[in-house]
Amino acid sequence: MTNNATHLKHGRRDFLKGLGAASAAVVGATTLPGKALATATDRKPRYGMLIDTRKCVGCHACSVSCRSENNVPMGKHRSWVEYIEKGTFPDVSLNFLPRLCNQCSEPQCVSVCPANATHIRDDGIVVIDPDTCIGCKYCIQACPYDARFLNPETGAADKCDFCVDRLAQGMEPACVASCFNKARIFGDLNDPDSGISRMIASNAVSVLRPEMGTKPNVFYIGIDYADEHDIRFQKQYIRVTTHRDGNARR
Amino acid sequence: MHELTWGLPVVAYLFMAGLGAGALTTSASVLLRGGPSGKYFDVARYGAFIAPIPVALGSALLVLELGSFQAGHWFRFLNLYKVINLSPMSLGTWLLTAFLMVSVVYAYTFLSRNPLPGDTRDMLRRLSAWVGIPLGIGVAVYTGVLLGALPSRPFWNSPVLAMLFLLSSISTGIAAIILVRALLKRKVQSDTQTHNYNETGFLLSATDTLLIGLELLALFLFVMYAHLTIGNAKAAIAVIMVGGELSTLFWLWVVVIGLLVPALIELALIVPRIVYQKAFYSHRAVDILVPVSVLIGGFMLRYVVVIAGQITYPIGL
Ligand code: SF4
Ligand code: SF4
Ligand code: SF4
Repeated sequence: MTNNATHLKHGRRDFLKGLGAASAAVVGATTLPGKALATATDRKPRYGMLIDTRKCVGCHACSVSCRSENNVPMGKHRSWVEYIEKGTFPDVSLNFLPRLCNQCSEPQCVSVCPANATHIRDDGIVVIDPDTCIGCKYCIQACPYDARFLNPETGAADKCDFCVDRLAQGMEPACVASCFNKARIFGDLNDPDSGISRMIASNAVSVLRPEMGTKPNVFYIGIDYADEHDIRFQKQYIRVTTHRDGNARR
Repeated sequence: MHELTWGLPVVAYLFMAGLGAGALTTSASVLLRGGPSGKYFDVARYGAFIAPIPVALGSALLVLELGSFQAGHWFRFLNLYKVINLSPMSLGTWLLTAFLMVSVVYAYTFLSRNPLPGDTRDMLRRLSAWVGIPLGIGVAVYTGVLLGALPSRPFWNSPVLAMLFLLSSISTGIAAIILVRALLKRKVQSDTQTHNYNETGFLLSATDTLLIGLELLALFLFVMYAHLTIGNAKAAIAVIMVGGELSTLFWLWVVVIGLLVPALIELALIVPRIVYQKAFYSHRAVDILVPVSVLIGGFMLRYVVVIAGQITYPIGL
């Protein structure tokens, strides 16, 4: 645990420097014996997130801060938390699964857009241009993670964009900054020395629905994958609650 | 209750676009097949007038359903025309636009006081018929590809879906022609008129029966392909199998009312003609009820598919 905490602090510092200061400073701060020096100057960042569900207590600080940061209309969600309850007393478990757009490397939400209103930026973040989007909702159908919604105010598709406006100011995403237990780590996946890369290298991580082929860039530690379909096969009580209202849970 | 991303306007659009595309394809085919003699010219005319109307109405519904339109950006949908990409929706938009133009031109060639085969607009009529057939098939197929292309929606994600929609489109197109023909049938007919009417009726009913047969086959493949798999497809198809949320809608309205009943009635009408060479005759009430039931089935097929795709999802988190 102490080990993890150091990594986290380290990653956070790297990240802030990487955004704010000159890249030379990053090289200086992150150089470790045996690691290549050249990478920091010529590589592009690829942003990703790692969520350590063992540390998540389901407090919804992320959901709330995301809503206020990004003006998410009521009833719609860029960030939400799912609860997975299992078992009968005393053999029970309760797991939390914070959710957001996975900023996939091969997102079908992008390839189905008939207006080219949504695209992957050079840093890997999938964004939507609300002035181009016609609101056809095809991308909402195409996302296997239910990460998108139609924003009734703009009439455009909307979703988590890793808080690009905050990133441009050198700040972390709102949900990351507000997580009191540091369950969310944000950073550059292309930098092997970033906190997130080191956590991913040293832990068993997984992504949601890898079989969809979207190549998510949001990683998780310690997910319980049980869902309603498992109720029929695992002979125990399972209840999944989503705080993404409206849609059928998917 | 589930909140649906695509609701009734999309269901109606898929049905209407298919119907119009089917009507044009049928009309253009019989026109070209009838040759210069103008056999089946009346059927071609009905189909030509029917085709653009549902397609235009359906497209309008679709624009009204757009988020941008509902948020007051009324002309933002024109962004569709700034782009051609491989999105099924982009391809569909262009196909649909071309289809609408051609179908209006085609209808125009029939729009004189006394349109006749070989009249002054004959060239244009044949030309637009030649172009209209592939466009009609394209529009019908694309409505299925639009849904079928998404792994995130396991119920839709089947290559059979586009085929199913194509067959249903042509069948509903023919049904619409039969219906309009029966409604506009003259009370008093000469013997030749009656003869022609019945002969054309035979052609339409026989074709429709064949199409419904193929549609049943496609539907069987669609259901079995998913049901015999394991995983996402099987879990999703359960929604229309016995005990599923939509099973009554599907089996009663789509299969029985939309396919089996009309197929059996039409079969009973055409078999005497095929087997015993008897003259084809169908009562006007039958000519009205059968297509109505085919049309209901076509609509319910789109309804069940669109809803089922959105209330099912991949297994696992
Ligand atoms: S999670 Fe969904 S919306 Fe986000 S990039 Fe992936 S496919 Fe697109
Ligand atoms: S809703 Fe907007 S972003 Fe999504 S596919 Fe349609 S035009 Fe593209
Ligand atoms: S990164 Fe920003 S937009 Fe995305 S879930 Fe977190 S707070 Fe919301």
